[in-house]
Amino acid sequence: MAFDIDKYTKNSTGVQWADLDFDEFERDPLPEETLRTLRYMCDIEYHTVCYLRDLLTTPSHDEPAVGAFMTMWNREEFWHGEALAAVLERHGLRVDFDELKATRLKLGWRDRLGTVKQTVMGRLVGHDFVAVHMAWGAANEWSATAAYHRLAALESHPVLVPLLRRIAQQETKHVAFYASQARDRLAASKKARVIARLALEKAWGPVGSGIMPEAEVTHVMTHLFAGSEGRKLIRDIDAHIAKLPGMEGLHIVEDAMDERGIAS
Amino acid sequence: MNSKNDTTTAPPDSAGFDVREFARTAHGNHRGTLDLDSLADEPLDAESVRLVRALRDMERTTLHRVRDLLVTATHKDARVTAFLTTWMFEKFWIADALDAVLDASPAARDLPASAGPARRVWAERRERRGPVLRSLAANFTGTQIVAEHVTTGLVDEWITQAAYRRLAGVSCAMASIIDPVVEIKHRHIRFLAAEAERRLGYSARARRITNRALRHSAWPLGSVDRAEHERTFFERHVFGDQSGRAEARRIRAMVAALPGIRPGVASTVESRLLP
Repeated sequence: MAFDIDKYTKNSTGVQWADLDFDEFERDPLPEETLRTLRYMCDIEYHTVCYLRDLLTTPSHDEPAVGAFMTMWNREEFWHGEALAAVLERHGLRVDFDELKATRLKLGWRDRLGTVKQTVMGRLVGHDFVAVHMAWGAANEWSATAAYHRLAALESHPVLVPLLRRIAQQETKHVAFYASQARDRLAASKKARVIARLALEKAWGPVGSGIMPEAEVTHVMTHLFAGSEGRKLIRDIDAHIAKLPGMEGLHIVEDAMDERGIAS
Repeated sequence: MNSKNDTTTAPPDSAGFDVREFARTAHGNHRGTLDLDSLADEPLDAESVRLVRALRDMERTTLHRVRDLLVTATHKDARVTAFLTTWMFEKFWIADALDAVLDASPAARDLPASAGPARRVWAERRERRGPVLRSLAANFTGTQIVAEHVTTGLVDEWITQAAYRRLAGVSCAMASIIDPVVEIKHRHIRFLAAEAERRLGYSARARRITNRALRHSAWPLGSVDRAEHERTFFERHVFGDQSGRAEARRIRAMVAALPGIRPGVASTVESRLLP
């Protein structure tokens, strides 16, 4: 099904929480492990702009629909960061821009050369590189949607749960965009299918790995996806990815869980 | 690399511009409030329509500009990227409003094509670099490059604002459409001005690279990719007459008033604006 970009841009808005009673967090604070997971999610949402940068080194943004999507998507993700930061703040945890900057500065040369690597790869692969980014983005957005839904299911907090559902609802739209883009572009090019498969198989990691400390990645994956119920959700994400043209049989998310020893 | 990185960047701004408030009160879709009917009563002349198209095209290349900023250390500054996120959103909808003006203007149908050969000027060669060269070069500049980006962004806003004001002066109908745009851009200017002053005031290295960038920029930013005839049109229409030259002088004075920007650099900026 085609993604209606005009409708999406017209309706795009920052996630709202003014109507939710955040005082409830003071009466009924969230447990430590949930706050740790929320902090991770919050940072990742703010770091979306780093992923936007990678997308912009491909020729994709010259297409008006893709450029329009990126503008709105980047802003919606920023607002997810703001919403989660507001929850953390009610627990005495302040997420400020300078701290986020420090995380990005710590990435050092690896990050600095990232752009060059991405662009050179993009040049070598040509227009098909856009398909790789779209497939990668779809995998990330499926993961994010699953993570928010899962946290909403694990928690029973009367304010956190509706907020997470609102965020997940926006993530579902992002999934629709990336998946429809990936499907069309992969279906149109064998080269794109081969490279996207290779990239996902060899280089994909859970959203946030590479930016956040590995201990935090493991905490979040364990908190959200350990156990049989969690593993079922992981397999669902893999099933979605495997339905993309040329991605049959991939189970990259389950592999990432096994690598980190997350119990099934 | 420490000397180039955070140890020498300006301390965080605790007062001043509130990026979170800016994000909260962003201006999106203008379609519901545009008075396009009065544009039918007072249709735009061909030159003004051409200027609308030029400005629309400039607003449309925002993602390109964002890319050039993000491939450098600027992407690490979360406060700046938070600003850019809302800034590109507002510019997206300004371009959309200008699209609506073009759709409502009969003269838009007879404009000369905007595509054509680019102007090749030796002084602007830095601007023609792609993301790889930009990224590699910026790795050696370090985090002080943020000063260059906010200052050239600020000067660019001053220049485009002069163009918007010219459009607003064409008719009451245009003023009602353009005044809110100028208002939106005024906030962009406030952020960029505060950041530029703070960063330039703090670091000699920031001043050095910013002086160099101002000397070599094609104005408005992104012009290196535009057709020669469109650039000539913009310079003639916005800065060509007496009031335009006065605008250019005003911009020179504002550039010269920035901390550590040499008078000769401000004059170079002014001379590049004039036809």
